[in-house]
Amino acid sequence: MSTPVVPIQRYRWLRRARVVMQLGCLLLFLWLFSKTDYDGSDTIDYAVNLLFRIDPLLALCTMLAARAFILLMAPALVVVGLSLLFGRFFCGWICPLGSLLDGTQSLLKNSRSGHPTLFPSLAATILLAVLVAAALQLPLAGYVDPFSILVRALAQAVYPALHNLAEWFFTFTYQQAPPWVNALTEPLYAFLKAHVLPFQRKYFDLALLSMAVLLAIVSAEAVQRRFFCRNLCPLGALLGWFARLGVTGVAGGTEACGSCRLCSRICRMGAIDEQRHINPNSCILCMDCLVQCPRQVIGLQMQAPGRRGAGLSLSRRRFIGTVLLAGALPPVLGVRRLTAAPNPELIRPPGALAEDAFLQRCVRCAECIQVCIGNGLQPSLLEGGVEGLFAPRLVARTGYCEFNCTLCGQVCPTGAIRVLSLEEKHRSKIGHAWFDKDRCLPYAKGVPCIVCEEHCPTPDKAIRFREVVVVDDSGRDVPLHQPYIVDAFCIGCGICETKCPLPGRAAIFVTSDGEDRHPDRRLPANPGGSSSGYGGY
Amino acid sequence: MINRRRFTRRLVYAAAGMMVPFSPVFVRPSPAAAQKPPELAVVSGPDYPALVREALRLIGGMERFVRPGKSVVVKPNIAWDRPPELAATTHPQVVGTVVELVLAAGAKQVTIFDHTCNEPRRCYVNSGMTELIETLRDRRVRLEHIDRRKFVRTSIPAGRSLREWEIYQDILTADCHINVPIAKHHGLSRLTLGLKNVMGAIGGNRGRLHHGLAQNLADLATVIKPTVTLIDATRILMDNGPQGGRLEDVRRTDTVIASADPVAADAVATTLFGLRPEDIETTVAAARMGLGEMDMSRITVREHRL
Ligand code: SF4
Ligand code: SF4
Repeated sequence: MSTPVVPIQRYRWLRRARVVMQLGCLLLFLWLFSKTDYDGSDTIDYAVNLLFRIDPLLALCTMLAARAFILLMAPALVVVGLSLLFGRFFCGWICPLGSLLDGTQSLLKNSRSGHPTLFPSLAATILLAVLVAAALQLPLAGYVDPFSILVRALAQAVYPALHNLAEWFFTFTYQQAPPWVNALTEPLYAFLKAHVLPFQRKYFDLALLSMAVLLAIVSAEAVQRRFFCRNLCPLGALLGWFARLGVTGVAGGTEACGSCRLCSRICRMGAIDEQRHINPNSCILCMDCLVQCPRQVIGLQMQAPGRRGAGLSLSRRRFIGTVLLAGALPPVLGVRRLTAAPNPELIRPPGALAEDAFLQRCVRCAECIQVCIGNGLQPSLLEGGVEGLFAPRLVARTGYCEFNCTLCGQVCPTGAIRVLSLEEKHRSKIGHAWFDKDRCLPYAKGVPCIVCEEHCPTPDKAIRFREVVVVDDSGRDVPLHQPYIVDAFCIGCGICETKCPLPGRAAIFVTSDGEDRHPDRRLPANPGGSSSGYGGY
Repeated sequence: MINRRRFTRRLVYAAAGMMVPFSPVFVRPSPAAAQKPPELAVVSGPDYPALVREALRLIGGMERFVRPGKSVVVKPNIAWDRPPELAATTHPQVVGTVVELVLAAGAKQVTIFDHTCNEPRRCYVNSGMTELIETLRDRRVRLEHIDRRKFVRTSIPAGRSLREWEIYQDILTADCHINVPIAKHHGLSRLTLGLKNVMGAIGGNRGRLHHGLAQNLADLATVIKPTVTLIDATRILMDNGPQGGRLEDVRRTDTVIASADPVAADAVATTLFGLRPEDIETTVAAARMGLGEMDMSRITVREHRL
C-alpha cells in the first residue's frame, strides 16, 4: 500500500468558487427580497420574484395544476437545463436555504455529516405526492418548497421582527441615552431605515408558524448536516432526478483507496456509500471530497445522458401507496362545506383568479404579502381550507388595499394574481363593505364621525352620508351625518374598516360578497340604481 | 386643601365655562384683535410662485417671521395619495416657494412632513413633494417621514374637550411653524383649511377626534400655533373632500391667502366657497377661544391681482 501523496488539491479553487457563489446568491436574494417593496414608482422594475420563477418544482406543480404553460415560470427551464449538465449543483451553489443551512454549521457544531441519510426515500415520496396532488389540481408544493418556506419566514417573521427590534433599541437610545450616544445611533438608525429595514411596522397572523417551520429546518441541522435537503426537500429530489439523467457527475474512489473512507465521512449530503460510490441523486457538487481526498482520486466525469438510469428511487409499494394517498385527498376535500359556500371572510387580493384557479397557482411564496404596502394581506390559516394555508387574504381591520397600488400582481410569480393596470385596479371589486349600525357611532350613539367616508378612495364616493337630526341620549336634537354605502362604487378595499375609530371590532367591515371573481358572488341589483347586480351576467 | 375663596372662584369659572358654548356674551376677544386688526393678504393670479411671494410680502415679508439661524417647520397637506391636479394636497409650487423664501430669510433648517392618511411614501411621491425636495437640492431642507418616536404626549391646559394629545415634537420645538394647507371641502367639517391641517401633526387615534371635531381642533390650536398660515387656494375642492379624486370637483381659483392670524385666514378662505365664516364650526370654536379674528369687518384685508 502506497503512502498517501500530499494532496495537490486541484479542486480547491472550485470549492472556493462554490462558497463565493453561495454567498453571492444569498446576498442577491436578500437584496431582491428587500426590494419587494414600493420604491417611489408604481411598478417594480426588478424581477424580485426571480427565486420563484427559476424553481422547477413550483413550475412543474403549478403548470400541472393549472393545466397551462405559465410563461412567467419559464426561467425554471434554465435550471432544468443546467441540472442536466451539471447535476444537482443548484443545491450546493445557489439555493439560499441550502446556503443558510451551511452557514449555521459553525454554530451547531455537528459531526454527523457522513451518517447515512435518515429517511433516504422520504424526499422522493414527498415529491411524488406533491406531483400527484398537482396533477389532480391540488397544489401542495408551496408547503414544502424550500423557497416558499424561506421567504415566508423572512417576510412574516424575521424582517418585521428585525424592524421591531431596531425600533425598540433606537427608541430606547433616543429617549434615554445622552446626546453623544445619539450622535452615533441616530445616523445609524437613519441608514438602516433607508437601506436595510422595512419602511413600516407590519403585523402578521402566522408569524410564529412561518418562523417555526424555518426554525425546525435549521434546528434539524443538529441531527444531520443538510437534514432538510437530504431527507425532505422535494425540489432537491427533483433536481437529483435530472442529475441522474444528466451528463456530468463526481466519480468516487476505487479499490485502491483501501480502508480510507474519508469522503463518505465528510459528505454533507451522505451521497457517498461504503463502496465510495457517489450517488448523483444526492451529490450537490460542494467539492468538499474532491478537495479533501488524500489521494486526489475523486474527479469530475462526463458520461452519456441517461446512463445512470432514471426513476425516483422508490420501491414499487411505496410508489403505489403514495399515489393512492395523494389521490384520495382531492375527493375528500371536495366534500367540505367550504366548497358549497365560500367563506365570506376570505377576501383575495385584487386581480386574484377565481378561487380554484387561484389556489392552483398560488405557491405560498408570500411575495404579495411582503409587498403589500397597506399591511392588508395576511397569510390565511384555515379560512380557505387546508389547501389555502398561507395563501394571501385581506384582513381589513389592521390593514387595507391601497387604492393606487398594483404591486401584488406584479410580484406574484405564477400569475395567481394578475397584473392589473391602475384603471383595472380601480374598478376591481374584491369585496364589499357593510355597516354594523348597532356599533356605528352616528347610528347607534348619535355621535358624529364619518371617518370611513373621509377615507373612502373611490372618486365617486362609495360611502356617502345623509344629513339627519337625531335625538341623543339626553333628549337633545343633534344634527348628524349618517353614512351609507353605494353598492356600485364600493370595491372592498377595506380602508374604511381599518380607519374606523371604534376600539375593537369596526362598525364597518368588508366581506368578499360581491367580489367580481365569480358571477355567483354578485350582490343583488338595486332596480333603480346604477349597479348591474346579479342580472349582470 | 381648598379654601372657601378658591372654591367659589372655581365655581364661577366652571359656570362660566359651561355657559360659553351657549352665550356669545362670554366671547373673550383675543388680545391681538383688541389692539389692532389682523392683517391678511389675498392674492390671485396664474403664477403660483409669484402669488406666494406677493402674499407674504403684503403681510410683512418672510423676514418678519423667520429670523436667520432659526429652525422652521413647513406643514403642507400631503395626506392623500393624489396628484396635485386633484386638489387634495397642497400644490408643490406653493410649498416650494415658501421653502425658498424661508431659506432666503436665513433659516438654518426646514423640516417638511405630514402624518398621512394613505401610505406615506405614496402620498409624498404622488403629491409631488418628493420631486420638489429633490429639485431643491438643499441640505437644510428635509422631507421627513413621521418618526413615531417623536410623538409627545402634550397637555392642553386651555383645552375644553381635549386635555392632552400626542403631538409631533418638531412642530412644538421649531422656532417657526408655517402652515400651508390647501382649501377644500370636507364631509364632516364642511371645509378643511388651516386649523384642520394640524391633524397631520398629531398622533394617536385621530379618528376619535371626529366626535366633536370643531372643539377638538380649536383645543389643539391652543398649543399648535402657526407663525404664519398660507392657504393654498390655487385650486380648491368643492365636493367629495378631503380626498376628492374627480376633476369635476376641482375649481381653479388661482388664489393664496396669508396671515399670521390662523382664524382670520380660515375665515377669509371660507368665502371662496360661497360660505360665511360662521358656517364653519371649527372657525367659530377657535374664534370663541380667542385664537384669532373671524369677523370679516375687523380684518385688514390687502387684496391684489397679479
Ligand atoms: S398569490 Fe401571493 S403567495 Fe401566492 S404565489 Fe402569488 S405572490 Fe406568492
Ligand atoms: S368610521 Fe366607523 S363609527 Fe365612524 S361613521 Fe364610519 S363606520 Fe361609523
